[in-house]
Amino acid sequence: MNSWLRKNLFNTWYNTLLTLVCLLGIYQIVTGVGNWLLTQARWDVVATNLNLLLVGRYPASQIWRLWLVGAIGVLLVGVSLVRPRLQPALKARLTPLLLGLWPLSLVLCFWLIAGGAGLLPVGTNLWGGLLLTLLVAFVSTVLAFPLSVVLAVGRQSTLPLVRWFCTGYIELIRGLPLIGILFMAQVMLPLVLPAEWRLDRLLRAIAGLVLFNAAYLAENVRGGLQAVPRGQTEAAKALGLNTPLILVLIVLPQAIRTVIPAIVGQFISLFKDTSLLSLFALLELTGIARSVLAQPQFLGRYAEVYLFVGLLYWIFCYTLARVSQRWEKPVASRL
Amino acid sequence: MVHQPIIIAEDVHKWYGKFHVLQGVSLTINAGEVVVIMGPSGSGKSTFIRTFNALEDYQQGRIVIDGIQLSDDLRNIDAIRQEVGMVFQQFNLFPHLTVLQNITLAPIWVRKWGKGQAQDTALQLLERVGILEQAHKFPGQLSGGQQQRVAIARALAMQPKIMLFDEPTSALDPEMVREVLDVMRSLATSGMTMVVVTHEVGFAREVADRIVLMDAGMLVEQATPTEFFHNPQEERTRRFLAQIL
Repeated sequence: MNSWLRKNLFNTWYNTLLTLVCLLGIYQIVTGVGNWLLTQARWDVVATNLNLLLVGRYPASQIWRLWLVGAIGVLLVGVSLVRPRLQPALKARLTPLLLGLWPLSLVLCFWLIAGGAGLLPVGTNLWGGLLLTLLVAFVSTVLAFPLSVVLAVGRQSTLPLVRWFCTGYIELIRGLPLIGILFMAQVMLPLVLPAEWRLDRLLRAIAGLVLFNAAYLAENVRGGLQAVPRGQTEAAKALGLNTPLILVLIVLPQAIRTVIPAIVGQFISLFKDTSLLSLFALLELTGIARSVLAQPQFLGRYAEVYLFVGLLYWIFCYTLARVSQRWEKPVASRL
Repeated sequence: MVHQPIIIAEDVHKWYGKFHVLQGVSLTINAGEVVVIMGPSGSGKSTFIRTFNALEDYQQGRIVIDGIQLSDDLRNIDAIRQEVGMVFQQFNLFPHLTVLQNITLAPIWVRKWGKGQAQDTALQLLERVGILEQAHKFPGQLSGGQQQRVAIARALAMQPKIMLFDEPTSALDPEMVREVLDVMRSLATSGMTMVVVTHEVGFAREVADRIVLMDAGMLVEQATPTEFFHNPQEERTRRFLAQIL
């Protein structure tokens, strides 16, 4: 220990000086933050508004429905995550079950959240806070990903028209800032779409996120497509498989697995980008934080509220990153 | 055995840009025949056999496989590919699928067999190439020789009438060459029509019905193994043999 210190931190006079300056800096930060956390921070702003921050103005009597949604989600994700480690026999039986359960639970969860058909309807204007953030992020991800695969494949197409359209779309979107696209989605979509289709503000925001992220994801997927060796396609052709089958069975599974880290990176960035929706009066996590800060009795409690909100964002992003590392592992051991 | 031509190539020409890879190659192969194509690298032998299942196109000439003329018609190409199996130098197994899935993929999706039938056939083939116990592993967990044997089983699962081998042992460590050649040898005795591009002199001498020498995109000489090795007619063949023997 002593010798390690001497060798790495105090080996020359300027390193000693640097070490001391750093120690002083660390001490200042730790005591400053610690002091603030323990003596000055007043978390009652978070405690009082906890429900608001988590679910917005969702009716208190109906919150049990959200707990149920959460439980279903945790259960489903949990089972899906442990599935690869199970015995082959159990795994084989579980796979078709999960494939059926996923879409079914999505419908069920949406019904639980939105209500109707026996449950008290809860309009989208009442959804808010973390609930809305998770919902927007999830729906945008689920919609953007298939769109991006189509764009990526289209960009590699031998048909010039398809290739030009996909390339043009991707390059156009990548040249625009997200905030601009979100404004366009709010203002322009109602102009373009027929008058009967009056998309509500939430759907317009999701459309903006989907259109934007699909372009970026498409470039990630394209990278994966190019990484699949030509021999794979040749072997599949030689077996008599046609082009669509080769794409779906051979090329895409390999392409997507090689770019999982990049894709998850984009998912994480999408998750955080939902905070921009607060600019369109949508009360997702950041939006609701701003409205909490506008309450007269809690004026100026920026640090507490934004720290709490930041923690929530971090928990979900970090979880996503960890989960994606698990997806990568079995693939790495195979190749 | 009735000797009917199953592969007919007539005056096949191919250009890569200005480079004339195949300069009018003609070759007829009978059903049940084992033909070994030899020649220096760059002589066009791989390109030539890859025209048989339309992995390479050609600009001039005519190729007829099992009575079907190769054309740009995709249905024609698909029909021919179902009858022609191919084994590659780099194995080209699908790394994301298990050995069993690699073999059953095409029978299930192309031949529309049931999963049970496809798996039974696959397991029989794995037994035949001597690696039944590896059925549930992924290709990356196998040695090169084992992978190439899986690749042979995968091609055989489509019950092809013709098998093309494109330098099947060139990417293998020397100690694994034999296990692959043994499988090919037993396949040859079973009466399969085989076209083999290889540098394995021993295999050619022992298994081939006919040996073909290609050089610079042209067919130099074709003869039985005995004739080819002991009494070559062409000066080019003598020079080639002097280099490899």
